[in-house]
Amino acid sequence: MKKVLAFLALLVIGAGIMSGCWSRKELNELAIVLGVGVDRTPDDQVQLTLQLARPSAFVGGGEARGREPATWVVSETGKTVLDAQRKLALRISRNIYWSHCVIAVVGEDAARSGIRRYISFFAQAPQPRETMWFLVARGKAGDILESRSILEKTSAQDIGFLARARTGYSVNFKDFLVMLATKGSNPIAARVEIIGRGVVPGAPAMEKSVEEEGPALTGTAVFRGETLAGWLDESETRGLLWLRGEVLKGIISIPSPAEPGKEMSIDIIRGRTIVKPRYDGESVWFDVEIIVEGDLLEQQSKDELPEREALEAIERAMAGEVEKKARLALEKAQAEFGADLFDFGVAFHRKYPKKWKEIKDRWNELFAGAEVRFSVEAHLRRSGLIAKRLTPRE
Amino acid sequence: MVRFIKPFKAGLPGRRKPAAGQGGGPGEHREGDVFAGRGIQDRELSPDLEINLLMMKTVFSECSDAIFREFYFAGDERIKLAIVYMDGMADKIQITAQIMRSLMLDAPLVEQDEELTRARALTTIKKLLPIQHIEETNNLGKAVDAVLSGDTVLFVDGHASAIINASRGWEGRNVEESQTELAVRGPREAFVETIRVNLSLLRRKIKSPDLKIEMMKLGRVTKTDVAVVYIKGIVNDKLVAEVKERLGRIEIDAVLETGYIEELIEDSPWSPFSTVYHTERPDKVAAQLLEGRAAILMDGTPYALTVPVFFVEAIQNPEDYYERSVYSSAVRLVRLISLVISLLGPSLYIAIVTYHQEMLPTALLLSLAAQREAVPFPALVEAVVMEFAFEILREAGIRLPRQVGQAVSIVGALIIGEAAVRAGIIAASTVIVVALTGIASFTFYYSASVSIRFLRFPMMVLAGTLGLYGVICGVLTILTHLATLRSFGYPYLFPVAPFSAGDMKDVVVRAPWWVMLRRPRLIGKTDPRREAAGLEPSPPPDGRKR
Amino acid sequence: MLEGGRIGARQAVFLMVSMVLPTAFLFVASVTSHLARQDGWISILLATLAALLIARLAVSLSLRFPGKTLFQFTEEILGRWPGKAVTLLYIWWYIHMNAEIVRQFGSFVVSAFMPETPIIFIELLITAIAAYAVRNGLEVFTRVNEIVLPLILGSVVIIIFLVTPEMNMKNLLPVFEYGAVPVIKGAVMPAAWMGEIVTMAVLIPYLSRAEEAHRIAAAATLITGFFLAVTQVIDIAIFGPEITAGWLFPALNEIRMIHLANYLERLEAIQMGIWVAGGLVKICVFYWAAALGSAQWLELKDYKPLVLPLGAILLAMSITLHDSILDLFDFLGRYWGPYALTIFIAGIPLLLLAVAAARGRGGSPG
Repeated sequence: MKKVLAFLALLVIGAGIMSGCWSRKELNELAIVLGVGVDRTPDDQVQLTLQLARPSAFVGGGEARGREPATWVVSETGKTVLDAQRKLALRISRNIYWSHCVIAVVGEDAARSGIRRYISFFAQAPQPRETMWFLVARGKAGDILESRSILEKTSAQDIGFLARARTGYSVNFKDFLVMLATKGSNPIAARVEIIGRGVVPGAPAMEKSVEEEGPALTGTAVFRGETLAGWLDESETRGLLWLRGEVLKGIISIPSPAEPGKEMSIDIIRGRTIVKPRYDGESVWFDVEIIVEGDLLEQQSKDELPEREALEAIERAMAGEVEKKARLALEKAQAEFGADLFDFGVAFHRKYPKKWKEIKDRWNELFAGAEVRFSVEAHLRRSGLIAKRLTPRE
Repeated sequence: MVRFIKPFKAGLPGRRKPAAGQGGGPGEHREGDVFAGRGIQDRELSPDLEINLLMMKTVFSECSDAIFREFYFAGDERIKLAIVYMDGMADKIQITAQIMRSLMLDAPLVEQDEELTRARALTTIKKLLPIQHIEETNNLGKAVDAVLSGDTVLFVDGHASAIINASRGWEGRNVEESQTELAVRGPREAFVETIRVNLSLLRRKIKSPDLKIEMMKLGRVTKTDVAVVYIKGIVNDKLVAEVKERLGRIEIDAVLETGYIEELIEDSPWSPFSTVYHTERPDKVAAQLLEGRAAILMDGTPYALTVPVFFVEAIQNPEDYYERSVYSSAVRLVRLISLVISLLGPSLYIAIVTYHQEMLPTALLLSLAAQREAVPFPALVEAVVMEFAFEILREAGIRLPRQVGQAVSIVGALIIGEAAVRAGIIAASTVIVVALTGIASFTFYYSASVSIRFLRFPMMVLAGTLGLYGVICGVLTILTHLATLRSFGYPYLFPVAPFSAGDMKDVVVRAPWWVMLRRPRLIGKTDPRREAAGLEPSPPPDGRKR
Repeated sequence: MLEGGRIGARQAVFLMVSMVLPTAFLFVASVTSHLARQDGWISILLATLAALLIARLAVSLSLRFPGKTLFQFTEEILGRWPGKAVTLLYIWWYIHMNAEIVRQFGSFVVSAFMPETPIIFIELLITAIAAYAVRNGLEVFTRVNEIVLPLILGSVVIIIFLVTPEMNMKNLLPVFEYGAVPVIKGAVMPAAWMGEIVTMAVLIPYLSRAEEAHRIAAAATLITGFFLAVTQVIDIAIFGPEITAGWLFPALNEIRMIHLANYLERLEAIQMGIWVAGGLVKICVFYWAAALGSAQWLELKDYKPLVLPLGAILLAMSITLHDSILDLFDFLGRYWGPYALTIFIAGIPLLLLAVAAARGRGGSPG
């Protein structure tokens, strides 16, 4: 009996092993997707663009880096994202592998027509990761993916690093989904477009230097619910960030209090934003407190620094500038987009849950009409390496 | 039973009788059989010297190294003596100087009545023999065994007893440094092939009368001396009884190495893991005896066995106890990690590269992908082939004569690895993984590393078919198997499972000596304390400098 | 002897924790968020309380009949044939539950990691290992667990630390937004899981010291409840209630979010390790209970010969019970809780205790 059982067991195990391993993906059978772009075609189809890595260009150290192109960009149209992928698979000799996709770009047209259709695949499929950066392209997403990078090997990685540096408002896919799903909040994402990016000096063999174009994160895309409502440029994005209370960093320039014609630049290091929703039974308004700290890093004027009054004047100027930028962003959100970009709704929900139930469906309108009072406090902490000014007294 | 050649029967020297129906055994009656049908174990000596010598010569017929020397006591022809010894195993100087000289030349002649002299010859001789150890026997078997052990048997005409004189002395290896178990710090002595020397090495380390050494002989033909060693009062008596019982059950022709004994007494012969420890270092054996274990030593091999053994001992090494605690703990950690790498290294590599590429950072993935572009084989095949090549290299390295060894290792490493990578047959990363795994397997106890190396191959297959899931299942299967193992009744995974907090101080770390107050709980129950408390060194209390 | 193994208090606690935690850890947040939204952690606390009561009940009942398992003393309380009927119900429950677990186990591995592999092979492998362990007795898988559970708990703690930057505790507000009813509804599933502590009634005769049973059960329940509550809090803090309810395996997504120093990421293999190792022990416990129970029901001398046939039944059931993972989760979400709770976890033990007290069976509670 034992022998029979042992034999059967061996048979089963052997069959399992020898019939092949189903989920196996050898490395050189993978088409590694580094970046994906989704666009809407004029006839309302989904256009899927993939930036695939070409591994032979990534041979590790020792050898000189060839100028061999590191990526291959392909594009196809279909009724859904998966449909387009299926058609692409006919052209790609390997299995499309999403797990290393760094960026997902949605084209402007697609975003304006309702984004859910384009992103549901990325949320549900197991391979694409929630940590990939989510961006909206000004124009077509496909163009972004076809761009080249100077410093990095691939433009997808380039954009990924740009997003990670968080100079603007960078959103990863999970954040975007959370914002989309939450009432009282509207999604925002970084905006990416192709701009001129400096010059690569020509090699001796070439005659002239080459002006390069490449992707850059130039602002923020603003959604109202599922549709793209508009853009915020860089300085408005700064205000947006400060109002949201995230990443309170950035450089601001203020006119020098002593010599109004000259400018000073202050690097904001950290800060806090506290949003207090208020409700008196009828109307809704908000008190926003912002506290920032910064270093003075550049000074065109000849102000004497360590004196108390001078410092306080600078701090007041700082606070003023911060408030100005925040207001700019707020006004644009209220007036132009009519969308709550700052999660004020979420704050309201937390404080007045019962009232929230009644008004949550009209939140965007209520937000557009709400009054917001600012109180900004700024502190100057350091001044780089210099305590006194550089130029001699006159 | 020894098969007997018929005495005085013509025939080619050394030809044996065919087996069927004629096999030697007790009770077999053969014509002209000097032993009257009884085996030599039961046979008694005869008072007649000639008959005794005849019996001995029959037993040792065609043994050209058995020497028979007849002589007279003090030259007196009335008292005939004869000695039998093995040339090459008995110390000839002792024989000539102590036995023969004292009986032939220096023996006082006492004028006495002939009959009395003859009758009292045996007692007189015993008084005159300046030998450090003598025994008397009237059993032929014992006499034969004595000769075969290197002792000299003295027969006295007129007495049915023989005197066995201890005279062992032969060419043996000196006590040298161990070739296989090396340490930077600590005693360098290793056991040799002579059991008395080995036992003396132990005895010198443990100078206590409680160190008990019980001898027995194993092996029907080889009759090897085997010693069971333990420290009474520390060891669990039931363990010793069990050891003796299992040894007693062994019925085999030959015991040539302790490995034979090991296989015949271990709890789980089919397990890849060894539940009996073996070593050739006396300091290891001594330390284990002091923890409450029992040791088995054998003549003819330097390897001693100790029982019981626990899995965690794979990462332990006597040097850990000689170096300082902090350093030793760090080194143990290295060994533990090496153990894991040695088992799982190639499997994880295969699993990740083939199934779970999402686990690699993108940059690494691209670099690996670039390497693998050139390679024709799947990762599993590559890894298996490389591992196999490594095993071939390893085995060859052991068997090679020393002069050739260096060249081959260089050839192996460089040519096979480097050339294969250049030719695009193997990916460089595979070579790195296999090499690292191979080296890692030598950091810990050799026998465990053999088991783990062996298990590596099924793990690789599992990894190649079911990815990380296969690897985890493989690990769990091994864990479960370890959990079922017992070493002489003690759970193999002690002190990790069943968990004993106090004993964990010697597992992954090596607690300083002033913390190790108690012996390991399970085996040292009889006498738990081994150290006084409060021995931690500290500066004098009131701060005065000495 | 039917089962010669004896386990100590610490081992028993570990075993009971492993019986629930490693698998529940993976999807508890999804299940409770579905009903209780951001108050899921309160549901878990409620469930822990309920489980403590159940533990008390089960242990008190068991201690009245020292040395006898649930399967044996049921007959003593209710008489031979009614007792055998109830025992059979319990054996059925264990087998059914184990089949669901095996299916769930395979589903995770396949969905998240290896979608092309037929689930039967995954299940076959783990069931084979479980069979090997169970065949060798209680002590064996207890020992394996002793090694595995600390690693699992350690990994969970490390994960908690690593994922902290992604957490936004404000997501847990507002509390009691929808009132207490959803919270109670959300507590049903976790209570059904933690209520599996009723298995103590099968385990108690094999403890080396039976009087510690109350403490063991309480300790195990509290530890399990604590970790589940913490996981719940974390998942909500990272994803917010809506998304958490949407994921099938929120803890997996949680682990995917770990991203430290731009280097330490992509750690979901740890989750697989936790899942597989913990799942194995869980399957072993119920497998053992079913085998032991069957042997005692049939009044056999040894349960070892039953292990393999039971394994085959387990595998077959796990395949045929559900067509798809969606069906599996639907069943578990909607029916399992009430089914397990009312009948096996609370209902029958209460009944047994009442009858035992009424009929005066069994010694005084320990």
